[in-house]
Amino acid sequence: MEAVVDATDLEKVYGETVALSGASLSVAQGEVFALIGPNGAGKTTLVRALTGTVEPEGGTAAILGASPAAVDRDRLGVLPQEFSPPARLSARELLAYYAGLYEDPRDPADVLADVGLADAGDTWYENLSGGQQRRVCVGSALVNDPDLLFLDEPTTGIDPAGRRTVWRLIEDLAASGTTVVLTTHDMAEAEHLADRVGLLADGSLVAQGPPDDLVREYGGSSRLTVETTADPDAFADLEYPVERPARGRDRTPEAAVVVREIDPAAIGSVVDYLEARGIEYTGLSWAEPDLEDVYLALAEPAERERTARLEGERGDGAADESDLARTGETA
Amino acid sequence: MSRMGRVRAETSAGWRSFVRRRTAVFFTFFFPVILIVIFGALVRTDPAGGGLFTEPPAYYVPGYLAVVVLFTPLSRMGSEVARHREGSRFEKLATTPLTRAEWLLAQTAVNAAIIGLASLLILGLVILLTGANIAFSPLLVPYVLVGVVCFCGIGAMLGSYTDSQDGAVAASNGIGLPLLFLSETFVSPELLPGWFGPLVNLSPLTYFARGVRAATYSGAETAAVAGVDPALANLGILAVLAVLAFALGARSIPQTD
Repeated sequence: MEAVVDATDLEKVYGETVALSGASLSVAQGEVFALIGPNGAGKTTLVRALTGTVEPEGGTAAILGASPAAVDRDRLGVLPQEFSPPARLSARELLAYYAGLYEDPRDPADVLADVGLADAGDTWYENLSGGQQRRVCVGSALVNDPDLLFLDEPTTGIDPAGRRTVWRLIEDLAASGTTVVLTTHDMAEAEHLADRVGLLADGSLVAQGPPDDLVREYGGSSRLTVETTADPDAFADLEYPVERPARGRDRTPEAAVVVREIDPAAIGSVVDYLEARGIEYTGLSWAEPDLEDVYLALAEPAERERTARLEGERGDGAADESDLARTGETA
Repeated sequence: MSRMGRVRAETSAGWRSFVRRRTAVFFTFFFPVILIVIFGALVRTDPAGGGLFTEPPAYYVPGYLAVVVLFTPLSRMGSEVARHREGSRFEKLATTPLTRAEWLLAQTAVNAAIIGLASLLILGLVILLTGANIAFSPLLVPYVLVGVVCFCGIGAMLGSYTDSQDGAVAASNGIGLPLLFLSETFVSPELLPGWFGPLVNLSPLTYFARGVRAATYSGAETAAVAGVDPALANLGILAVLAVLAFALGARSIPQTD
């Protein structure tokens, strides 16, 4: 199938900060592609390079068969990450305003209904809740019925019900042939919506593929989390590998051990083991690996490498959050 | 949507946004009014005296008009561009068919409407409070429009090259205030040192003031330019500067921030 988005070896540097370092991706028509990665990984820069609002220093990019700067903008829909439209226009007026910029727009009233704001259409943007505001912004990217849609963190700040509305909207668009590239920090969102996911770390895509494939390749094994203060050595005779993750890592409670590679049918044997040895525990939870495990497995090492490199470049071992913050989500 | 349609959509949004900021609307009109009240009604002109305000009231009409023709575009465009940058609105617009020139044209249209109304108010007040004897030349309309285009372009540059709304407003005041008083508006050339003359010629507002004065004040001693009537010649010069400022202003508008 023809690639609607095609980028090869994109490079972009802001001052001394490398935002993109050989990023390549290809997205087919009707596909939903989710970009995930830590803050400052380069997601927004990649979206900007693909939408023509940032000019990369190296590499090539094409969308809808043209360079991003020359693409037919009537076919393109974009929601920037920190977008804030005129505050004293109503939701209806805002959608009508953006619709007025296109050749053959949708009826703004339909878009308003699609984003679940038919009842709030006459409310000024500044008086809408944060989630409603974001939904208006999503609507502004849909008014031209685009063939290619870029959504930079579309559901940030939206409540679960509103998020589901946006998800359904994206699913419907993809079903009707619209190609969607979105960035998100919500792994459930990426896993739910995306045909393929790309994990961006340190300016390049370190892994991409269907969520299930990524989970199989990088997600590790299933895990049974036992909430207990007991030492992992107390589990030495258990037939499964047991570990105590670092504090706060791997989505486990602080006082817990994780039993790996265990089938759900075998959980009873672990309970028997705990009771036979008098090991006190406060909870058990079993989970298959998911996209968040992939993220933790791939992004965290990349982030540690980057932090170490920053420390090395500064030569004083003082790289800290401020270095990472400077690259920022807009980097 | 045609170019006209896009400009209309942007103009409509810009106009609604402006009229719903009541404080901005109030002070846009209050500023020139208070200036006329202070200079025209309280200080008053004194043709027989010395120092400032020694010319007849009609001499200062270009100055009063310049308050809105200069300051309103500089401060409004500066802060509007800064507001757009802060809200990533240019990044959004850069991905739509609307061009930067179309955006600036729409904002200029909004400013022209506001300044047109303010200019009518100013002319009425000047006549009422100072008794100025003004000739209502039709050239006043193109002068105000071309002046607005020129200073909207400069205002767009200020907003683009400053890093915040505060910075844009401060820059517009820092540039606007000297221009307002040193462009043959309130201070006649005879009151300035001789070496300052060439600098006065660098200000676009000078051509606005000379031309408006030539068109509205029968006692004006504005010199012809290369034999051309000063009311038309200065409009021509201002128009050239306006095209240049508009082009540079549109070009300066950023796509991302």
